[in-house]
Amino acid sequence: MNALTLAKSGLLFIPLLILTCSVIRIRWGLRLPIAAAIALVLALVLPALLERGDLGYLVSFACMASIYAILALGLNCQWGYTGHLNFGIAGMFAVGAFTTALFTTSAPTGVMAQYTQQAFGLEAPFLVGILAAAVVAGIVAFLIAVPVLRLRMDFLAIATLGIAEIIRRIFQNERWLANGPQPLRGVPQPMHCAVEEPACAWMPQWLAQFLAPLAQRDYNLVFLVIVALFLMATYLLLERALRSPWGRVLRGARDEEEATSMSGKNVPWIRIQSFVVGGIVMGIAGGLYAHYVITIDYSHFRPLFATFLVWVMLMLGGSGNNRGAVLGAFIIWGVWSGTAFLTAFLEPVLAAISSELPQRSAYLRWLFVALLLAGIVLFRPQGILREETIVSRHLLDRAPARGRRRLRARGEGTESAHESERAEPRTP
Amino acid sequence: MSEASEEATQAVREHRDELRPGERIRAALQSRAAMVVAIAIVLMLLFILAWVQGVGIERIASLTAWGIMLGGIIALGAIGLTLIYGVVKFPNFSHGAMVTLGAYIAFAVVSAMPGQSAGLGPFSFGWDLVLGLLVAMPLVGLVALALDRVVYRRLRRQHSPLVLFAMASLAMAFFLRSMIYLIWGSDFHFYYMGRPNPALHLPLGIRVQADQVFILGLAVVLVIATYLLLERTRMGKAMRATANNPELAQIRGINTERVIAWTWIMSGALAAAGGVMYGLMSQLRPEMGFFLLLPMFAAVIMGTIGNPRGALVGAMIVGIAQQLSSAFINPAYGPAVAFVLLVIALLLRPQGLFAR
Amino acid sequence: MPLLTVDAITCGYGDMEVLSEVSATVDQSEIVSVIGPNGAGKSTLMKAVFGLLRPWQGSITFHGREISQLEPYDIVKQGMCYVPQVDNVFTELTVDENLEMGAYTLPERDVAERRDLVFELFPRLKERRGQDAGKMSGGERQMVAMGSALMLNPSLILLDEPSAGLSPKMVDVIFERIVRVNEAGIAILMVEQNARESLRLAHRGYVLANGENRVDGTGEALLNDPEVGRLYLGG
Repeated sequence: MNALTLAKSGLLFIPLLILTCSVIRIRWGLRLPIAAAIALVLALVLPALLERGDLGYLVSFACMASIYAILALGLNCQWGYTGHLNFGIAGMFAVGAFTTALFTTSAPTGVMAQYTQQAFGLEAPFLVGILAAAVVAGIVAFLIAVPVLRLRMDFLAIATLGIAEIIRRIFQNERWLANGPQPLRGVPQPMHCAVEEPACAWMPQWLAQFLAPLAQRDYNLVFLVIVALFLMATYLLLERALRSPWGRVLRGARDEEEATSMSGKNVPWIRIQSFVVGGIVMGIAGGLYAHYVITIDYSHFRPLFATFLVWVMLMLGGSGNNRGAVLGAFIIWGVWSGTAFLTAFLEPVLAAISSELPQRSAYLRWLFVALLLAGIVLFRPQGILREETIVSRHLLDRAPARGRRRLRARGEGTESAHESERAEPRTP
Repeated sequence: MSEASEEATQAVREHRDELRPGERIRAALQSRAAMVVAIAIVLMLLFILAWVQGVGIERIASLTAWGIMLGGIIALGAIGLTLIYGVVKFPNFSHGAMVTLGAYIAFAVVSAMPGQSAGLGPFSFGWDLVLGLLVAMPLVGLVALALDRVVYRRLRRQHSPLVLFAMASLAMAFFLRSMIYLIWGSDFHFYYMGRPNPALHLPLGIRVQADQVFILGLAVVLVIATYLLLERTRMGKAMRATANNPELAQIRGINTERVIAWTWIMSGALAAAGGVMYGLMSQLRPEMGFFLLLPMFAAVIMGTIGNPRGALVGAMIVGIAQQLSSAFINPAYGPAVAFVLLVIALLLRPQGLFAR
Repeated sequence: MPLLTVDAITCGYGDMEVLSEVSATVDQSEIVSVIGPNGAGKSTLMKAVFGLLRPWQGSITFHGREISQLEPYDIVKQGMCYVPQVDNVFTELTVDENLEMGAYTLPERDVAERRDLVFELFPRLKERRGQDAGKMSGGERQMVAMGSALMLNPSLILLDEPSAGLSPKMVDVIFERIVRVNEAGIAILMVEQNARESLRLAHRGYVLANGENRVDGTGEALLNDPEVGRLYLGG
């Protein structure tokens, strides 16, 4: 085992640990060591076993899937917990991505200024960029929410679809803002210095030594660590919020609106809050996306990608369920990536049907995902993971199995089993 | 409006004299008159903004005329959308894709014809396009029916909530779009390459193409035909009855599944007509229907869901507003103007101008 | 043989059982009234008979045929019509059109004939035939609803609380119409809150409480029964 592989293992350990911790559902006392052990083994084995290219692919996959998972968590906050049918995810995503880009890139000067324009470029550090994305996305979400949230569900869907379209057009047409329709380039990669020579100034000597063997093309491993940490933080914060009084009022507003408002809760305000929180999460996902792909333009945010795909993710994973959102994101991103192999495999067949078909194979992938969504809606609308009834974080893990009357799940996300059979993990 | 506030408004209307001033103002705001005034104000604003930009009166008149023509195209799509929305109660997000499909099917017909036929009279299109139109309309109607049979009818049987229908229509939208991309690719196409399109000269220096007048005429004819169908024929009345109260329709022995099937066929056929005309006026691209989606929804909602005359009126308003706005903002923001009108309608009077 | 036989049906909504082995019969040309306190399951009984709910157990026979598994529009074809308590007219259609929709399965030339017969029974409707049903008063709407049910010349009409929300004068009018309809040979199964009045019209009555049969007998007998009077007729 050489130093390079060791460095990779070290980096891989962190996201793998997060993964194993969330998958193994037992008491924390036992969970941490077991999860750490498994993660350690995997972290050592994977870089050794896999080809560099394969490992790189896996890491890229995990990065994008994690970004989408954060998006799905944001949507779950809006749909799963409050019942807002938001068909305009692409808008928040775009706002977050472009805000981060504007904050963290440098304003073009001299010759460059003739080719690319942007409203400003602050060269701000990574976290400031993400924070800005969150704040701006939150403000935009608020401005949208106030007039639109009171509308009936189908009108809300139409309205949010419209808003996302307009946001996309703004980024497409306003040259001065973000170089639209040209791409905005040069979004810096956070902690890129970790794979550079010399290493980051702030790193302790032993860490810099450890990471020294990594080359530029191993950067995604570093990014994966960052994104995984963001995903974990978002998940934990949202889960915590759900078990709080705020979360309870939210679900009350969704399920029993009149009773909740008669208890003195300001229902419209609560619903706006949840929409804004969802929007903030989506904005953060957008910011991370910008840092990952480095170059963004309006075409990345067509409703095709962001809105549609994230809905499939949430529907499959199980709406009303944060773990379902993350699970759905990984599965659907897997399916999407898998269809790339499928179409490559099918290329001779496609070429036999028509000579132009192979170059249009990307649309075959869309066809497949569209059929998948139709299938989910028809056959398993509640998704893989049901919504769990979570009342409070103060409730004990092992609730005794009381006699319960299972209500038949109608549609998705609105019915819940009285108690979940497995022990609820206690959140830290 | 949420159901609770709809009931409140109803109660308010019935007890007008006993109201507090705040409630009276709100009731007045939600009246038809208020919405007409609001729309008039928006249009006035657009006129004024165009004027202020130094756009001459002649050009403003031209833009208005073109707006009416654009309204014709939007109307063709909107009639089908309003019919199906009224009967099945969910917004059909795949309607734009059906518009596109109609355009492309006609294109396939036109391309299959040997040579290019000469233009009919003052119009730029020939018999081949008319044939294409006549083929596309029933075909897309059948596609719409097929999608209903496979997807939406199953959801109806399972008594699924509205969100699943909306989601399914979104899936169907992408399904149809993918098929169009796969079959025809992403390039732009034209029905007729490089054919001159002479303009008619109207007073005030307005120039419109004969094609545009034809489209407007077709839209009006189809609206009248749909109106007659809904008011005079038994199937049409059954459609209105089913849209009004689906449970009661079943109780009265109306076969609501048959009604819904016919409504899908009509909706698809009208969408196809809209697509062919849209393709004639601009160009064929796979996203064309999606560009029209927001203006169509705006027209449908402003004109009251289920009301074809309302859809025509709504489409005119949207068309004029979009064209006028192009005088002083980037034309790419046309749908944004439609969206503003949509939001005004939804906030003031979601039941539309023509609600009884 | 009775026209309609409800034989020990048990049914409800979702998990919740509402009716428990309830039985009833309706003979040709008779008026049968079902009374009982709120929540007794009277409306549920109506819905089960008309096919809007599937009974979990038991059977329902009409004209000798088992109908408990049929859809409403098939039951309509058998000769049974239903007038729901609320939302019982097409508010956006005119009176004429409402009646026409009542006769959807009839060939067009017979519709006008039936419509004239309905207008004879409800002359007020004839005056207002072009008016939107949604703009009419409660009593007029009830007439439209009943008229629509008559268009197909059914052998049995189910009425769900026909007097609900009506002024006392209108209640009298409606009940009088019900009697006239019955005199034309149409059987009526009626659920009513206004127990006393409905028992007066009825040939027979059933008292339901808590989803079960309690008492049954002729209309007169029930009216005069002191037990029934105390518990269900308000003394």
